[in-house]
Amino acid sequence: MNTLLHIARYHLVDRMTYLVLPWAAMLFSFLVNLVIAGLVPSAPNGYYTGGVVTLYCFLFAGGVLSMSRSLSFGLMLGVSRRVYYLGTSLMVLVLGVVYGLGLTALQAIERATGGWGMDVNFFRVPWILDGPWYLTWLTSFVLLVVCFLYGMWYGLVYRRWGLPGLAGFLAAQVLAGLVAVIAVTLAHSWHAFGHFFGTTLTLPSLLAVLAVVAALLGLGGFTTLRRVTI
Amino acid sequence: MTPTICTTALSRHYRGQTALDNVSLSVEPGTVTGLLGRNGAGKTTLMRIITGQEFPTSGDVRVFGQVPAENDAVLRRLVFVREEQAYPDLSVAQVIRVASWFYPDWDGELARQLVADFELPTGRRVRKLSRGMRSAVGIVIGLAAHAELTLFDEPYAGLDAVARQLFYDRLLADFAAHPRTVVLSTHLIDEVADLLERVILLDHGRVLLDAPADDVRGTAVTVSGAATAVDEFVAGYPVWHRQRLGSRAAVTMPGPLDEAAQARARTLRLSLEPLSLQQLLVRASGGFTDEKVSA
Repeated sequence: MNTLLHIARYHLVDRMTYLVLPWAAMLFSFLVNLVIAGLVPSAPNGYYTGGVVTLYCFLFAGGVLSMSRSLSFGLMLGVSRRVYYLGTSLMVLVLGVVYGLGLTALQAIERATGGWGMDVNFFRVPWILDGPWYLTWLTSFVLLVVCFLYGMWYGLVYRRWGLPGLAGFLAAQVLAGLVAVIAVTLAHSWHAFGHFFGTTLTLPSLLAVLAVVAALLGLGGFTTLRRVTI
Repeated sequence: MTPTICTTALSRHYRGQTALDNVSLSVEPGTVTGLLGRNGAGKTTLMRIITGQEFPTSGDVRVFGQVPAENDAVLRRLVFVREEQAYPDLSVAQVIRVASWFYPDWDGELARQLVADFELPTGRRVRKLSRGMRSAVGIVIGLAAHAELTLFDEPYAGLDAVARQLFYDRLLADFAAHPRTVVLSTHLIDEVADLLERVILLDHGRVLLDAPADDVRGTAVTVSGAATAVDEFVAGYPVWHRQRLGSRAAVTMPGPLDEAAQARARTLRLSLEPLSLQQLLVRASGGFTDEKVSA
């Protein structure tokens, strides 16, 4: 357990990557959006930006770096791959909880101020980051973890198989998506598909799906790490 | 006593290439072992397998009596300082601080001393350091960790002679105060010769020699002087290597020589010089151009 904490702390020594940049970039995006919202005539249904995605992108990048750049030094210090992966995941869980809480608080402020006085919806994203505060917190937590674990897997594939591996990894995902599209098309189920994502798969159940995705990503990354040599 | 490292018929093949071929060796606790050999001899691969960073194709490896791969009970007791170790984007002080968390016997005083000795800029990012400075960071961590098994793989790439001497001195002093098992791979054999208790010579992935360093020293001697006198002296002895320059000659032959032979050399006004560890190993690796002349 101690070593897990040390690994988590090891990552967080790099405050720039994991703490400063994600928030600075997102707040920058937020300010830009505020200015733009102030300039353009107000939209009838409010102003939606989706700019909150910046934070998730940075966590994805953090995931990549945690497994590509930082791995070698971790293993130099007599840490097993398992402990390294679990320690990193532990940090992600903590970051997810704290960052999710931060996003939830900002969303609450956004709602309370009528979209920062300009009907701007930066921290509220319909369908996914919406609803009661605890659902927003849970969803953003799970989403942050998903992004980071996904990034970790990319970092590991890169570490193990280099650029060709990365291309193959990406191609495999595109192919999987393509197969799904073909299957839905052949079954003439696009209507049902839309209905499923629009109506059936909404927040509480969507959360469960995301949690499963997170678990699968974790498992995939861990399996890959077992084969990584440095 | 359980050997600290024990490998049995250990092999590692890469696509069309054999990095390690049937390596069986053992390293006793509390010794300093030199892992020697040419580039590509398999030294780094062997150390990576010992530390669980790489997996063997076949054969068995035990560290502290257990399989090291993914075994925290083993791994937490060792430190592996690699040539060209990749560091995260942190400052020297941060990297050393992080390392200290992982070793219960971490010697902070020694780390501070070494940082001062190597004149390391603690605030600078490790990635921005020169090659030699980066090597010094690895040495600081490797020594201050006080890990039961300490592995150095060419730890001083880019370090100047003064800094290397500093490393040898510190290693010896710290080893005397805190005995542990040290495995050191290097090309600079003569520099470390006095440090080593045991030498293991790898060549093309195979163990060519595994012996106490004292036994290896003095196993050959170079006889030089007037060519006629040299020829007279070595008559009847096996000769490894013969060199001739005008009327002078130098011959390398197996040693050590007994009293009578040494006396005879003196009368013939020949000089006798034991072959250095480095020269011996060069010879053992087939680096000598053999003129198979047996007088």
